Amino acid sequence: MLVEDHIRKNKRDTLFICIFMLLLLFGVIFTIGYILGAPPIFSTAIGLPIAIAYILITYSFSVQSVLSAAGARPANPQNRDEKILIYKVEEMALAAGLPTPTVYVQDSRDINAFATGKKPEEAVICATTGAIQQLNKEELEGVIGHEMSHIKNRDILVMTVTVGVVGAIALIAEIVIRMLFWGGISGGGKGGRRGGGGSNVIILILAIIFIILAPISSRLTYFAISRRREYLADADGAYLTRNPEGLARALEKIKADLPDDPKGSKTVAPLYIANPFKRALRNSIWSTHPPLDERIKRLRSM
Amino acid sequence: MDPIWLILIFIVVILVVFFLLIYWGFYNRIIRYENRIDNSWAQIDVQLKRRADLIPNLMETVKGYMKHERETLENVTKARSAIMSAKTPQDSINADNMLTGALKSLFAVAESYPDLKANQNFLNLQDELTHTEDKIAYSRQHFNDSVLAFNNIIETFPGNIFARWMGKKERQMLQIPEASREVPKVSF
Repeated sequence: MLVEDHIRKNKRDTLFICIFMLLLLFGVIFTIGYILGAPPIFSTAIGLPIAIAYILITYSFSVQSVLSAAGARPANPQNRDEKILIYKVEEMALAAGLPTPTVYVQDSRDINAFATGKKPEEAVICATTGAIQQLNKEELEGVIGHEMSHIKNRDILVMTVTVGVVGAIALIAEIVIRMLFWGGISGGGKGGRRGGGGSNVIILILAIIFIILAPISSRLTYFAISRRREYLADADGAYLTRNPEGLARALEKIKADLPDDPKGSKTVAPLYIANPFKRALRNSIWSTHPPLDERIKRLRSM
Repeated sequence: MDPIWLILIFIVVILVVFFLLIYWGFYNRIIRYENRIDNSWAQIDVQLKRRADLIPNLMETVKGYMKHERETLENVTKARSAIMSAKTPQDSINADNMLTGALKSLFAVAESYPDLKANQNFLNLQDELTHTEDKIAYSRQHFNDSVLAFNNIIETFPGNIFARWMGKKERQMLQIPEASREVPKVSF
């Protein structure tokens, strides 16, 4: 019954995040319309469809955006290391009684892994090349078991949708700011022409919207991960492999091998088994993952 | 009619509806758990067949190199035919354990044949046989998990009453023979 409750809560959280982002986006557009003196009906007619379209599009492309933000590619069964990874994923899927997820690989020296997807039938498990090369069979099994539990508990739904829906703001903000920069240069070249000035105003408004939203949204992604979820996945993963020591040793290796240059976007960080950004490894209320030492200690006491 | 009777009828109807809802919930759960057991057995069966299918290939590859290891090779073939002819799930698992043991000694013997160890085909087969062995182990684990969940629901109250009405009996877990508890370690 507990697992079902957990799944239900994850689905509810996902809905909450989507509705919250819808209201936030609509609110910001509406407010800016109000400041510019547009009639409220006009602001609503523009703002609501944009907000809804944004949610629908980012929701449906969340898996793809996570994978491309991480720079992941499908695993190559011709390569022996990656073939073993595929084997391990197949084995853990059998142990959990889930359909086999698609296996991706991220080229990075760091030891890390994440799972994504909206439901178990379309799940993806991605491991870094560093993890495949540096972890032995048992440790890799522990890591995959942890990811498989995220799939089983539907944690991947909240995590992926949060990163997809919320993280897209940061990405769009970047594009808009770049547009503003180029728009400014070309506007200057054309002198005082009215048309150029008008489009600049629109871009400026968009920029303001996203500059307001970006920091809020990046903070929000941190709620995608709760410590409870990570501890639960550790415990469930250990139950799947019947070997808590494997995951404990993998976490020790991750700790010893503090990442130098994490690949991929910061918005995907909450998805990984251990935060790939050094700064966030410190134990604070904002950290996405529970401290590694505590996780290792709990695994050892099972 | 007397209002007392109306209230009583109302209460009885509520109770009956309440009871039917509980029965409905348990019925679906018991059926779902039972299907999960059958499905996990199907998974094991697929892996057993896959493993048995790999053996003739392995024999073909190994034959040329290991001329003097007749007994080792025969044990593998024997275990394979035991899998093919197994009737009950427990028989299949026992035969598979025999095969695991036979393969373990075959791979150990292979260590002293450098030519064989360098053979790409042999290496692939060895990887894949180990992989199917792990898959069988994990599907067996999932099978036993499913049996445990099913048995728990049909043996605890009120599931035990509903299970009796539905004619559902406790299922047996797959036992692992003592000798093969030790999983062979293969490093990569």
